Order: sequence, then C-alpha cells, then structure tokens
Amino acid sequence: MLIHIEDVFVAYGSPPRAVLAGINLEIEEGEFVCVLGQTGCGKSTLLRLILGSEHPMRGRILVDGREHHQPDRTRGYVPQKYSLFPDKTVLDNITFGCEVSEFGLFARLTPAFYRRRKQLRAEAFDYLQRIGLRSCDAKKYPDQLSGGMQQRVAIAQALMTKPRILLMDEAFSALDPGTRRGMQQLVRDLWKATGTTILFVTHNTDEALRLGTRVIVLAKESVDQGSRIAMDLSVPAPCGDEEIPSLVRRLELVSESCAL
Amino acid sequence: MSVGFLLIHARPQRAWSAILSWFLFAAGLAAYLWVAQARHRENPEDRVTPTLAQMATGMYNAVMQPAEEDEAAPPAANFYDRLSHSMLWRDTRATSRRFLLSLALLIPAVLLGLHMGLFPYVGVFFLRFVLFFDKIVALSLLPILFIAFGIDELSKIMLIVIGVTPTIILDSFNLTRGVPPEQIVKAFTLGAGDFDVAYRVVLKQVAPRVLNSIRLNLKAVMLFLFAGEMIASTDGLAYRIALLRRHMGMDVIIPYVLWVALLLFLVDFAMRTVNRKLHPWFHEA
Amino acid sequence: MLWRFSTLLLLAASAFAQKPSFTVGWSVYAGWTPYHYMNKSGILRKWADKYGITIKVQRFDYAPSLDAFVARNIDACTMTNMEALDMPAASGVPTTAILIGDYSNGNDALLVRNGLQLKDLPGKKMLLVEKTVSEYLFDRAMTLGGLREQIKRVRMINTSDSDIATAFIGDANASAVVTWKPMVSQIAKQKGVTSLFNSSQIPGEILDLTVVRTDVLSRPDGAGQKFAKALAGAWFETLAQMSTPGAAGDKVLAAIAEGSQDSLASYKEQLGTTKMFYTPKEAAGFGASPELKQKMALVRQFCFDHGLLGANTKSVDDVAIRYPDGSIQGKPDRVRLVYDLGYMQLAAQGKL
Ligand SMILES: Nc1ncnc2c1ncn2[C@@H]1O[C@H](COP(=O)(O)OP(=O)(O)OP(=O)(O)O)[C@@H](O)[C@H]1O
Ligand SMILES: [Mg+2]
Repeated sequence: MLIHIEDVFVAYGSPPRAVLAGINLEIEEGEFVCVLGQTGCGKSTLLRLILGSEHPMRGRILVDGREHHQPDRTRGYVPQKYSLFPDKTVLDNITFGCEVSEFGLFARLTPAFYRRRKQLRAEAFDYLQRIGLRSCDAKKYPDQLSGGMQQRVAIAQALMTKPRILLMDEAFSALDPGTRRGMQQLVRDLWKATGTTILFVTHNTDEALRLGTRVIVLAKESVDQGSRIAMDLSVPAPCGDEEIPSLVRRLELVSESCAL
Repeated sequence: MSVGFLLIHARPQRAWSAILSWFLFAAGLAAYLWVAQARHRENPEDRVTPTLAQMATGMYNAVMQPAEEDEAAPPAANFYDRLSHSMLWRDTRATSRRFLLSLALLIPAVLLGLHMGLFPYVGVFFLRFVLFFDKIVALSLLPILFIAFGIDELSKIMLIVIGVTPTIILDSFNLTRGVPPEQIVKAFTLGAGDFDVAYRVVLKQVAPRVLNSIRLNLKAVMLFLFAGEMIASTDGLAYRIALLRRHMGMDVIIPYVLWVALLLFLVDFAMRTVNRKLHPWFHEA
Repeated sequence: MLWRFSTLLLLAASAFAQKPSFTVGWSVYAGWTPYHYMNKSGILRKWADKYGITIKVQRFDYAPSLDAFVARNIDACTMTNMEALDMPAASGVPTTAILIGDYSNGNDALLVRNGLQLKDLPGKKMLLVEKTVSEYLFDRAMTLGGLREQIKRVRMINTSDSDIATAFIGDANASAVVTWKPMVSQIAKQKGVTSLFNSSQIPGEILDLTVVRTDVLSRPDGAGQKFAKALAGAWFETLAQMSTPGAAGDKVLAAIAEGSQDSLASYKEQLGTTKMFYTPKEAAGFGASPELKQKMALVRQFCFDHGLLGANTKSVDDVAIRYPDGSIQGKPDRVRLVYDLGYMQLAAQGKL
C-alpha cells in the first residue's frame, strides 16, 4: 500500500466550513488514479494533503507507511500554474531537482558539481527529446515557451528526480484539444516506462477515463457537508471507445446528483 | 495629426515627440533666464538668481580651486592635482562614500525581508516591529541618534538605515509573499532544503523586483543623507549647499543641485542596466 | 518674480485699503522676542494707527527670515550686524539699521570639555554653525589669544543650531562647541564642560539690529518713514515696559518669554548676558560712538576673509558702510549698509 488515507477531515475559514469529510482511500504502487469532481469540491486540497504542504484536521495520511509533514522528493508535483521557475532556463529547470538535492548551497562551488552537472545536462537533453522539444529550446526561459511546452517541461522537471508518486493538478486544463491529446499520450507513455504512481486531477471526465486505471469522484452530499468519495471506479484495462460515452454519463450523473 | 490629436489614439511623429519632450526644459530655462535678467537689471548684485555666466564661474571655481578647508595646492599643479583638491571632487567623494555604504547596508535589509516572508517564526518576531518602525519619522529621532552614535559618519548612516530600511524590508517581505506557493512546494518536491528554497528559488525570483524597489528608494536615501550632512558635517555635497545657503551662493548651489540630479540619474541608470543584464528573464510590468 | 508679484498684490491691497501695509520679520532670540509681545499687546497697533499704516509681524527661523528680507518679501527684519552686511548688503539690497537693540554680552560662548585651553584646540573636533557669529567669536577668541595661525587646524564640524546641543552632549569626541543661548545654558550644565570665551569679552561686536530696506524708507509717499517711526516708537515703549522693576515688569517679561515658549527664569537669565539698550538715549549713544566703526571694521574684514560677501566681491571696500557722522567705510559709491540714528534720536527727544 503506497498511499493510505484514513478518515480525513478538512475545514476552512471561520466558522469552519467542511471541505473534505470522511475520506478513506488506498492507492497501490503503480496505479494511475484520476480524481474528478466539480469545482471547489476539494480536489486540490486532497493533493496538498498528500504532498504534506497541508495537514488534515482529523484522520491521517500515510505515504509508504509514514506520515509526512512537509513536501519532499518522494512526491513530485505538477501544478496547473507556476510550475516552472521563471528565472531559470528550460535546461536549468529540468536539472534543478538533481542539482539541489545532491549539492548544498556551497558545494556548488566545487569541481565535482560541474562534472555532475555535465551528466545531468546530457540526461536533461534526453528528456527534452522524449517530451518533444528541440534542443534549441533548452536555452529559453519559461515565458518564451507556449503553455503546452511549459507543461511538458514541468513534467520532465518532476520526473528527473524519479519520484515514487507524481501529483498532477489540472495540468492540461489550459491546453487546446489537439495539444491535450498529445500530452495525454506522453503522460501515459511515461507512466508505462517509469512505473511511477500518478494522481491526476482533472475536470474532464473523458480525459480521466482515457488516462487512468482508476477514477475517483469527489462530491458533496449537501451544501454544508464536506466532500466524500462518491464513486471509485476501476477502468477496464483497454477502455474502448464505445464504452466511454456511457461511463462519462454515469460519472457526471454521480458528480452532479451529489452536488444538489 | 488631425483626427486623433490630443486623444488616446494619437500617434505623435518622431520629430514632434522629440520637440515636445524637451519643451518644458527649454521653457524652464528661458523663464529662469528672463527672471534672472530682470532681477539683474534692477539690482546688478543680485545673488538669488545668478546668470549663466556667474554659475559658470562659480562652477569653474568649485572644480578648479582648492576647497577652502584644504591645503592650497601648489600653483603649478596640473589639472588632475587641482581637480583632486577641488571642492566639487572632495564633496562628491565624501557623499558618494556615504551613499554607497548605505546602499550596502540595504542588502541585510533585503535578506531580513526575505526570511520574514518565508520563515513564519522570523516573520512574527519582526513584522509588527518593522511595521511600527516604518511609521517613525526618522528625522525626529536625530537627538537620540546623536547620543547613541555620535555625530560622525555612523549617525548619518544610521539615519538612512532607520529612514529607508523598514521600507525595503517590508517591500522585500511583500515581494517574497507574492511568490506563488506552488513554486515553493515544487522546489521541496524536487528535493530542495529550506535554504535552497530561500536563496536559489525565492531570492533569485524577487531579486529584480527588489532592485527596482531600491531604485525607487534612491531618492529617499539621498534625502536622508542630505538631511544628515546639512545638520552636522565637515564635507559632502549637502554640507556645501548648507554653507553656501548661508550667504546665498546660488551661483554654486544651482549647479550643485543639477550635479546631484545627474549623479542620481547615473546611479539609477546603472542599476537598471545591471538589472537587465543580470535578469534577462525579467520583464517589467 | 514672486516678490514683484507680491509687491504688486500688496500695492493693490493697500490701494484698496487706503492704508500702506508693511511686514516685519523676527526670529527667536532674547533681544528680538519683544516683537512677539509688541504685536500681541497692541502696542504696535497703537503706533501703526497713529501713523496711519498697517504693520504685520511674522515669526521666522533665522535663516529663512534673512532669505525673505533679501527676496524683498518683508520690509523690515531682525538680524545681527554681521548678517546685515553679508546677506542683504552684499546681495545688493541696500539696508538701513534703524534700531540698535542690544549687543551680545555673554550670550555667545565657546565651551570645552575636560578643562582644555585655547592652545589645545588645534587638531580637536569643534561643533559650530560655520560662517556665522559663532565662527566670528571663535576667530576673535583665537586672535586675542595670539593663536591666529592655528585657526585652520581646528576641525570644525558644521552643525545645525537646532541639534547642536544634543550633538555635543552625545558625542564625547567633540572637544569644543561654539553656540548661543539657550543652547549654551543647556550645554554648560553638563559635567566637565567649561566656558573658555564668551561674547562679553568682545562687547559691542555682535550687535542685534532691526533693519529696513533703504528703498522702503525712501518711498515717495513717505509711508516708509512712518513705518520706521512707528516701529521705533513701539519698540522703545515695549522696552520701557520690560525694564520696569518689580512685578509689573516681570509680567511683561513672562509674556515676552511666552513668545519663544520659554520660562520667565530662563528668559531673565538670557537677558543677564544681553546688553539691552532699554532707552533710546543709550541706543543712539552707542550708535554715535567711534567704537561702532572699529567693531564693524573687524566684522567686515572677517566676512570678506571668509568669502561671505560673495565670490565676486574683489575688495572688502566693495560693500561700504555709512555711519551717522557721515563717514564711510569703503567705496563711497558702494554704500550698502547705513546706520541711521534719526529714529532713535526722535524717540529720545519724545518727538515720535
Ligand atoms: N487556504 C484556504 N482558505 C480558505 N478556504 C480554502 C483554502 N483553500 C481552499 N479553500 C476552499 O476549499 C474548497 C476546496 O478548494 P480546492 O482548491 O481544493 O477546490 P478544487 O476542487 O481544487 O476546485 P477547482 O476545480 O476549482 O480547482 C473551496 O471552496 C475553497 O474555497
Ligand atoms: Mg484545484
């Protein structure tokens, strides 16, 4: 059991309004879990809980059998916005994780660092190719890239440190359908190649079904109650095109009926 | 020119832009000359509005004559010798030294703001106090400064520190707070430690904005420096202005004021250039 | 331009009111604070009415009052003999001294720490407002002590008068300070501070005057003359009240002290070191004495040596002074400062 979530409760504001209530979830190593739900139902909150940047008011979250109090290398993160460091080039963004976790603030001044950086850069160029960027993009700064390219670099950046879990929050929501299709393919391929466990938050039911091995729907049962897991669906391995419309309808029905 | 003239969509031609942008300078100069001439016709010894020729001699003396308190340079001294003993050079050197020293003292202020923004305990420890201190009118504390730091350089530097650093601290604090939390979380998930996040992620990101905020505060630094020099000093540009003011040496004061403006402009320009070279990714909003 | 505009305005206003209006500026100093009382008590109003004019009184800081006078924004102003020479007179604003109020008789002083002597001062740090009577006093002290050559070796630090007391008290490295009362009294209270020299050792050299612009006095409508007469009348009436012995005088003194937010005791202490000319006879007598000429000679030489007469003034004689006996110090065609005893004499004769 890689992620174990046990009776988690989260509320915000004063007076506190429940956002998540009674969440129980188990995720195995190597799963590709898509999280669906209407806006404001607490999907991002759930990711932040697993990241460890926020803590539940009740219940506990175990990752690899341990509670984590702050984000670290085991859980990679691709947020919807602000995923790249604007002050670093594409190449530096990709190698940043390895550099920073292997070398301290002052160890960067040693020759060993420069030798290692050479290797890392070679590796980064590899990733660049895999995510479909040209090597001339390596010297660019994030704001010189299109949104889709930025998200690709963000994924490469997260994968460079080889996290056991990758958390993606609406990573593709700003992309056009064509780019989106490509990115879905890319993530799916990378997932197959690396075996990383992925938690993927999205608004798009179709996308969830195409990508995941498992789809979870978060929904509120009434306005003043927190969201719970309204549906937990294992997607049949090759999800055929003809099954998708009916599944989409089913999932959306669950999500909407609960929200009333 | 006919349709959009004076409207938002107007597109001034190059020549017009050039003429218009210099117009107020020319008008100001002309108005000054007119007033100066009128006053001199009425009173040939008028010192309030020196003519250009008087200012030129005043400035020539400031640049080429040894300062009053200096040992007289040997009469045969060459240009550079005379320059290095001159009033202008000595004053500029003294003021620049203080100015650069105070700028250097802003670096710890920036770092403090950064740590306050990132580390909650540092934040709660300092924030309220700095907010309070920011509202203190530094000049009114002068007597205390004199008693605590003497009347030499230290009290002048402290005046600037008290006057300007709270602003810089709060500014870098706010800029630090403005860094999206996603960036910080992301850095941690990539394996960065607390200080990597502080210095390699956040500081690097806010650096250009902090530099800009320092640029905006250059004038405040100069203002406090001038106040200090006018109140107790043996040299410096403001010291000279304060002295000359006592017998209306406007023929030197006016060129001095323009010289200070030019120096400030050059510092600002240099900082802007450095900022652009150092942070090519940064685009001013 | 501004002064022209304001005179225009004033002219317009006075034409409208049918009453010429004048402004006199004063700054806080023991010998000048009577102006506050003179205005508040109605004495000035009485005299102005008598001459059919209006007189406004305005308080300034010292330096701005000089600026305002030079810029012709005010018609009369209080200042020392030294400033009368190096500010308006040297700036080509011919000036007439109509009232000699007092001379500093210990008000200005050179104070030192740790019992230093004059000869120890070279190389030491000294606080003062440079290019003012403070520097003049120090110059005289060194000259009288036979140390004229050493003056340049004293490290003078130009310190604003509003901060000089705390600056000296707070900085143990500053060995000496030259300033005036009330700062002198504050500093003298400190342990280990002694007075080395004060203005009572150069009596009559630091004069406190009321000056009027010469062109105001010579206004064709004669209102300037009336203005000077009204001022003189009001001034000596105020001084007479001030010098009344007993409780009545104290009441006046307390009201005057109020003008500078001072206490009666402190004001009396300052008057103790100020040689006031309480009667017009005394004042005119001092003005007529040959001493005045000798003392002014020292002052104008000091001003010239320190460049206070302006960089373009090539000779000390370029800013000439005319005395009551008609004699002139400097070039006759360049008279800029005039001592006019006429108004004081009229007051003495009771003819105002
Ligand atoms: N720091 C916070 N303080 C107060 N309320 C918060 C905070 N963070 C989230 N919330 C509230 O919690 C609820 C869930 O927020 P969350 O961001 O998890 O929603 P979401 O499911 O990710 O929505 P979306 O699909 O729009 O991103 C929202 O109603 C939001 O207003
Ligand atoms: Mg969200």
